[in-house]
Amino acid sequence: MNRFLVAGLVASALLVPLTARAQSASALLDQGVRAYQVREYDGGAWLLRRALAAEGADALSNAGTARALLYLTATEVARNQRDSALVVARRLILLDPRYRPDDTFPQAVIAVYQEARRTAPSVSIRAPGDTAIRPGAETFNVRLGSSTAPDVTANVMNADGRVVRTIFSGTIRDSVDVRWNGLDGSGNVPAAGRYMIVVTPRDRRGGAAGSANWTLRLPIEIARPAVDTTPLPPAPPDSLFRPERGNTQGAVRALIPAVIAGVAIVALPKVVAEGEEASQARLVVGGAVTIAGIVAFFSHHPGQRLPENEQYNRNLRETWQRNSQEIARRNADRQRQSRMIIRPGAPSLVTSETP
Amino acid sequence: MKLLLGALLGLALLPAQVRAQGEGRRLHFTVAGIAGQQIVQSHVDNVTDRLTGPLLGAEGMLISDRLMVRVRYGEGRIKPEAGSTTEARDIVSGEALFGVRATPWLSLWVGPSARAYTIGESDQRWLVWSGRASARGALVPGRMQTYVELWGVFSGSVGNPAIKAGGRGARGGLEMRFGAQSSFWGRLGYGIESLHADGLRETAEALTLSIVFGLPQ
Repeated sequence: MNRFLVAGLVASALLVPLTARAQSASALLDQGVRAYQVREYDGGAWLLRRALAAEGADALSNAGTARALLYLTATEVARNQRDSALVVARRLILLDPRYRPDDTFPQAVIAVYQEARRTAPSVSIRAPGDTAIRPGAETFNVRLGSSTAPDVTANVMNADGRVVRTIFSGTIRDSVDVRWNGLDGSGNVPAAGRYMIVVTPRDRRGGAAGSANWTLRLPIEIARPAVDTTPLPPAPPDSLFRPERGNTQGAVRALIPAVIAGVAIVALPKVVAEGEEASQARLVVGGAVTIAGIVAFFSHHPGQRLPENEQYNRNLRETWQRNSQEIARRNADRQRQSRMIIRPGAPSLVTSETP
Repeated sequence: MKLLLGALLGLALLPAQVRAQGEGRRLHFTVAGIAGQQIVQSHVDNVTDRLTGPLLGAEGMLISDRLMVRVRYGEGRIKPEAGSTTEARDIVSGEALFGVRATPWLSLWVGPSARAYTIGESDQRWLVWSGRASARGALVPGRMQTYVELWGVFSGSVGNPAIKAGGRGARGGLEMRFGAQSSFWGRLGYGIESLHADGLRETAEALTLSIVFGLPQ
């Protein structure tokens, strides 16, 4: 008779319309509990696992999840699946370290739960839903809980397993709020992508714990809305730089205008005031220009350092670097002031006993 | 003269793609103090006098990417050579020119210039409108450069009542920066202008030394 009842329950679970999925998770839980109560353990385990597998908006509440895990523990004990029962009980302890099964459960179930409590790390992590923060100015908060006061380290790690920032190192006494301001260890905003808050035990001296071997992980996804930044200016082209060593071409370029100007100045009276008796002043100036050109010619001889050109090039480079740094700084400010969206996922606990 | 004016007009109509490649794209200015010696040869009918004397003046320029404005003022007293009966003259001269940088090395200018002096009770004033072409070349970039400027009168008058006048002129020289980063330049210049009207001709030469603040064009 009971078998027919459970078969009917399973069949009805399979036929629950997709549009009623949210309701069906709790319905599955109720059906699983009922199956346990009528000792149809195989079907009950299947129903409870399905209820626990629901995700997103359809997922069970924390209380519902705890209830499902407790009944699944009891179901697995009843099915003589002790190892599986221990794993489920640890999940329950991870979810809520302070959860206690009531006395209506058989002593064997209470014993399994107590064993799980003894061997499980009994730490929990709770995160808010999707959170938008301004990196450096606001924080993303998670709550670590434990009833055994372990010493732990909490790191934000990237997908490659490298530590982005250590956000907590100390003892969890009951619970502790851990805040992350969205910046890495260097004060920069990390790139968008998948990260993880990883909590691991450490011994009292600050190193990794030798005996307790567990890792609590909270996956988080970081998204950055597009920020309007200014492109960095390109480096000045070679054509803008002056030669820093003299060459023949430069020498000739210095000489030619001087000679032309010198000759022109000397000849100006002939062009402008033909027939006038010109003074010697033109010879002074024309001669000075020509001599200056000759001096410039020799200052440009091949291989000769040209300090003026070196200074000019240095100024050109420094101006470009200053502009680039200023724009990079402004872009960084804009990036910092833009909001970062942090989407936490479901936490998981990995122990040495986790298959 | 017509040839010179035609050349100036042709340069002024250079296509727009001939652009200045100046280092700075912003407005800047230069100011200069000028000191020098001027030599004037004055011909009235067939009488020629030669006068010399010091010259003091100032110059200012406003320079944008392509356009420029230049004003210059000078004054001095010139005296005849020993033995001459000609009177000394107090001379003032000035100009206000508007220029465009046709190429990085060539600028074109237009504007009025005047030269006036007093002989006894009478004033003599030359007022001319001229077009100019000014070329520059760097001997040591940023440190030393040379320039030559040629100009021709396309309209002018002298005296009261005014009679038509013409003429031409030129100047050239050398500019040197006092230090690699200095804002001050020194300029050694030579200028000559020859103005003429009916029965009159004046040729003035000047050797000048200037201190310029700011980067010359």
